[in-house]
Amino acid sequence: MSKGEVSLVSLTKRFGEFVAVDAIDVQIPPGGFFSLLGPSGCGKTTTLRMIGGFEQPTSGQVLLDGRDMTGTPPSKRPVNTVFQSYALFPHLRVFDNVAFGLRRQRVPRAEVRQRVGEILELVQLGSLASRKPGQLSGGQQQRVALARALVVQPEVLLLDEPLGALDAKLRRELQLELKQLQNDVGITFAYVTHDQEEALTMSDRIAVLNRGRVEQAASPRELYEEPANAFVADFLGVSNLMEASVIGPSGDGVEVRLAEGITLDAHHGNLATRGATKVVIRPERIQVEPAGSGGANRVPGMVTNVVYLGSGLQLTIHLGFGRDVTALVANTDEDTATRWTPGAPVTCHLPPTAMRVLGNEQATQLPAAAHSVDEPAPTSVVP
Amino acid sequence: MKPVGRFGALSLNVYFWAFVAFLFAPLIVLVIFSMNNSMTPTLPLSGFTTKWFDQAFSNSELTGAVVRSAGIALTTSVFATALGVMASIGLMALRGRALALAVATLLLPLVVPYISLAVGLLILLQTLGAGPSLGAVVLGHAVITLPFAILVVLPRLRSLDPAMNEAALDLGASSLAAFRLITLPLIVPALVSSGIICFVTSFDEFAIASFLAPAGQPTYPIFLYASVRTPALLPDVIAIGAIVIVASLLLVVAAEGGRRWAERRLVGAGAALEIPVEEAAISVIAPG
Repeated sequence: MSKGEVSLVSLTKRFGEFVAVDAIDVQIPPGGFFSLLGPSGCGKTTTLRMIGGFEQPTSGQVLLDGRDMTGTPPSKRPVNTVFQSYALFPHLRVFDNVAFGLRRQRVPRAEVRQRVGEILELVQLGSLASRKPGQLSGGQQQRVALARALVVQPEVLLLDEPLGALDAKLRRELQLELKQLQNDVGITFAYVTHDQEEALTMSDRIAVLNRGRVEQAASPRELYEEPANAFVADFLGVSNLMEASVIGPSGDGVEVRLAEGITLDAHHGNLATRGATKVVIRPERIQVEPAGSGGANRVPGMVTNVVYLGSGLQLTIHLGFGRDVTALVANTDEDTATRWTPGAPVTCHLPPTAMRVLGNEQATQLPAAAHSVDEPAPTSVVP
Repeated sequence: MKPVGRFGALSLNVYFWAFVAFLFAPLIVLVIFSMNNSMTPTLPLSGFTTKWFDQAFSNSELTGAVVRSAGIALTTSVFATALGVMASIGLMALRGRALALAVATLLLPLVVPYISLAVGLLILLQTLGAGPSLGAVVLGHAVITLPFAILVVLPRLRSLDPAMNEAALDLGASSLAAFRLITLPLIVPALVSSGIICFVTSFDEFAIASFLAPAGQPTYPIFLYASVRTPALLPDVIAIGAIVIVASLLLVVAAEGGRRWAERRLVGAGAALEIPVEEAAISVIAPG
C-alpha cells in the first residue's frame, strides 16, 4: 500500500455553538496533490489543523494509512505543516531552521548536514544557508518553510495558504514550482486555499468546502465542467446561474424554460430533474453573435457593459426576458476589442452542450462575496 | 511633529529643560558635594577631594549594606523575572474576562501601598513561625516587582507568532524543547529589561525592607535613612550615593546596548524584529 493516505471520517469541530467543520468525510489519496478549497470561514484551515494535530476534533476521526491519529500530538505524527505565516525561527540561520526537525530526531550530525544540503539545493536556496530568515525575500522564506517541513520526510505535507502573502506574479511561478516539487518528492500534499484558480492549477483532486461541509470532491476538470450544485458552479470561476423549469426530455437532453416563451435545450447535468431548478453556463461557452442571427438555443439581448481584459472582453448582456449574463469573448482578431460596445443589440447562442441542469433537491446558499451576476438565489427551491 | 508655532516651540523647550533640571539637579548636586572638601554639604565649595570615597569604602557597615542590597536586588530580579515569564505564558492561554481578572490580580501590587504589603507580609511570616530575614525581603520585593516583569515580558511574548511554537512541535519538539529552543531565545531582550527594572526597584526599596530586614543587617536604603541623622557619616553617604548613581547609569547604558546588540544578533543584520514600545520605554525610564 502506498503511504500517505488520509481519511477523514465524519470529522466534526465545534467552537462553542459554532460548527466549524460539520461531519465531513474526505478521502485524500496517497501521493497526490489534494486541495481544500472554500471561502474564508468554511472550515478548511480547521480541517487542516485537525490533520496536523493542532486542533482536537469534537467527534470523528483522522486516519492516516488506516491508523487513527486522533489524540496523537503533532510531534508524533508523520505529517508536517507549511504555515501561512511560514513561522520560520527568526533567530536561527536558514540551515538551522531546516535542520531543526532532524536534530529533534537525533539524526547524526553528518547526515543532518547532507540532508539539509540536499533539500536546500532542491528548493534552490543552497547559497543562502547561513542567512537569517529576516534577510530573505517572501518567496525565499516560503521555500525555507517548505524545505524545513520536507526534510523530515513526512508522509503527508500540509500547506495552509502558503502563497497567500506573495504578489500575483510570484504566486503563479511558485504554483507551478510547487506542483513540480510534489511530483518529484511523491509525498501527499494537502493544500488549503480560497483561490479557485490556484486550486485548479495545482491539484489532482479538490474538495470544495462551504459552511463546514463538503459541497463536492472531484478532479479540477469535473468541478469546473460538472459542478454538482450552484455553490460549486459559482465558486469555481464566474458562471451564469439562471432559474429555470425543466419541462421534459428533448433530443439528447431536456427542455428547460427560462421565462415565458424562452425555452432552450440542455444536454448536461442532472437530466432527471423536473420542475423548478437552475441551469448554469460558463461565460466562455456563450457565443455572442450579431443581432438577428437565427437558430435554436438563441436568446436576444443587449450589451450593457464591456470590460477589456487584454486577452479578451468580458461582456455583460441583458437578455430580453430580464436576466443579465456574463460572456467572455476571446481577443482573436483586431476587431474584437471594438466590435462590442454598450447598447449594441446582440444574440446570445447558448449551445445545448454548454447548458448544465443542476439538481433541484439541494438548497445551497451562495456566499455574500460570490461572483454571481445573477439575482440572489432563493434559499429554498421547491421540487 | 506638528507645527506648533513660535510660542508653542518656546514653551515646549522651557518645559523640557525645566523637567530635565528638576530630574537631574539633585543627582548633580550629590556628585559635586561628594568631591567637596568639607564635612557639611553647603556652599561655597571648599576645594576638591577624594577622601570621602576612601573613607566610605573603609566604612564596612556602609559597604556591607550596599553589597547586601545588591545581593537582594540580584536575587529578586532573577526570581521575579522567572515568575513573570511563567505568569505571562499562563496569561497567553487566557481570553476575555478570565484574562482581565488574572491580569488585574497579578498587577494588584502596583496599586497597593508598599507599607501595607510590608505589614501584611510581616504578620504572615510571623503567623507561619518565621521572623524577618533577608529571604523575606527578597520575597517582599518579588511581590512588588512581579507586575513590572509581567508588563515587560507579556508584550514580547504576544509579539511572537504563535505558529512558531506550533512549527517546533510539528517538527518533533516537546513543549519544553520548543520553549527552550524557540521562545526563550526570542524573549531574551525582554528578560534583560525586566531584570534591570526589578533590580533597580528592589535596590532602593525602603518600606518593605525596613519591616522585613533582620536587625543588624540593614539594606542600603535603611542604612542611609539611619545615617543621615548622624552628621559624621554624611560625607560617606554622599560619596556612596554618587557612586551608586554613576554605577546605575553605566548599568542601564550597558544593558540597553546589550539588548540592542542581542536584538540585532537574533534576527540578523539589516532586519529588525518588532520591539514592543512599552519594553523600550520602560528600559529607558528604569534608572529613575
